[in-house]
Amino acid sequence: MRPAISVTGLTRRYRDHVALEEVSAQIEEGSICGLLGRNGAGKTTLLRILAGQEFPSSGVVRVLGAPPAENEDVLRRMVFIREDQAYPDFKVGHALRAASWFYPNWDGELAGQLMADFGLRPNKAIKRLSRGMRSALGIAIGIAARADVTLFDEPYAGLDAVARQIFYDRLLADYAERPRTILLSTHLIDEAAALFERVVVIDRGRVVLDAAADGLRGVATTVSGPVLAVDDFTTGRPVWNRRRLGSQASVVTVGQLDEAARAKARALGLDLVPLTLQQLVVHAAGWPGAPETANLEGVSA
Amino acid sequence: MSTLVKVARYHLVQPYQYLIVPWGILAFAFAVSLATIAMTPSGHAAALTLHGLSPVAKVRYTGSLSSFFIFFFVLGVQSIGRSLPFGLALGVSRRSFYAGTALLAAVLACASGLVFAGLQAIEVATDGWGTRMGFFRVPYLLAGPWYLTWLSSFVGLTLLYVYGMWFGIAYRRWGLLGTIAFIAAQVTALLATGALVSVAHGWTGVGRFFTHLTAAGLTGLLAVLAVALLAGGQATIRRATV
Repeated sequence: MRPAISVTGLTRRYRDHVALEEVSAQIEEGSICGLLGRNGAGKTTLLRILAGQEFPSSGVVRVLGAPPAENEDVLRRMVFIREDQAYPDFKVGHALRAASWFYPNWDGELAGQLMADFGLRPNKAIKRLSRGMRSALGIAIGIAARADVTLFDEPYAGLDAVARQIFYDRLLADYAERPRTILLSTHLIDEAAALFERVVVIDRGRVVLDAAADGLRGVATTVSGPVLAVDDFTTGRPVWNRRRLGSQASVVTVGQLDEAARAKARALGLDLVPLTLQQLVVHAAGWPGAPETANLEGVSA
Repeated sequence: MSTLVKVARYHLVQPYQYLIVPWGILAFAFAVSLATIAMTPSGHAAALTLHGLSPVAKVRYTGSLSSFFIFFFVLGVQSIGRSLPFGLALGVSRRSFYAGTALLAAVLACASGLVFAGLQAIEVATDGWGTRMGFFRVPYLLAGPWYLTWLSSFVGLTLLYVYGMWFGIAYRRWGLLGTIAFIAAQVTALLATGALVSVAHGWTGVGRFFTHLTAAGLTGLLAVLAVALLAGGQATIRRATV
């Protein structure tokens, strides 16, 4: 499959800091990809560059095979919903009506259904909406646009758990009906983990992890039990984090465990708990003293 | 529907700002002017009557029509400041957004100019709305035949809107300090031009040029300036980010 989004050596420098440094990544057409990382890691800058709202300092960006900046053939097939979207002096209905003119695949019925799901009223002024309701408006536009490339930047800031579940359900349902490329940045990693077919983690402007979500399951495991048994088990294995409390120890090992290793752990009376995606991301990005990403290179697909 | 027309409709989807507020402002300015003129008898006329002379019918100009023109400048600023970010979010290129917005301004300016010309004709026919008020007549600028009133209003409104857009773009691209520098650069350019004219002892020529300049000639000059400003804004928006 050809990539819907492809960036190579992408760098964005601002006067006092580097927001993105030599970022390279490819996202296949027809997949849902999570863009993860800490605050200020460069997620929004990357998405803005993909959407043609910001310009790279250097590097190559291609969306649907062409550079997106000022390229309407690409732009009209792409929607970008950002957390801090500024709207004109509009009511909710105005924003939806305007969006319906610009997106060739706009689904008005779906937009209406999403509005009803979230309890959005068309005659309400956008500036009077709560944070969560503003997010809901963005989500309604982002899904109903049915754009070939759909970029969501923290789309559900301020939304309650029920509304977030509606977002996941609606997004997946519509994705199944009309597959497209979706890139979603979020802090609520475990909650959204089931959506992702691929995750890209960036930290301080660099890609620190780019892997298929399937490949990440069981890639790191927390081993806990008596200190001696844990030491015995982890000797010779790459280790991320070692914690000790009295005679008990808890160690994170990297690499898939085969059946023999599991049998050995059982025999030693050790607990094995696979790391969740969120824990992996914490380790891959920003966790003080996190190991070099070299440990994860074998994981990257 | 072409992208430019969509951009124009995007601005009008909330019709309040473009189609209602400016005319509301104009109606209010008109009402205030009319009330003021009606309550203050012309000093000249009263004095002349007192001395047994028949007063000469003298139009009393208000200049309040400028409020409409100033609002067009504000609309130009807001077209970028408020409407550009969501416009780009909808997948419009800067190029199309700019061209569509300028197109909308030109159409509205053209229509407003026609309305002004019509109201000016009524003003003349009713002897200044029965009070000798010159609201839609402005000495020198809007004092000719109807088509010149239309053309001068059209050019003037478009010019102010385009100038406002350039300010909005400068602010978006360079921030507050950059906008101040943008203003300073314009003032410096004016001063430099003045200095050059002084050095070349050209003020007599400049004075002659302007005293011989007709309203139609001035409108032509302003049209050239509007095109130059349009090009300046176009060059500035190319790298603007949201």
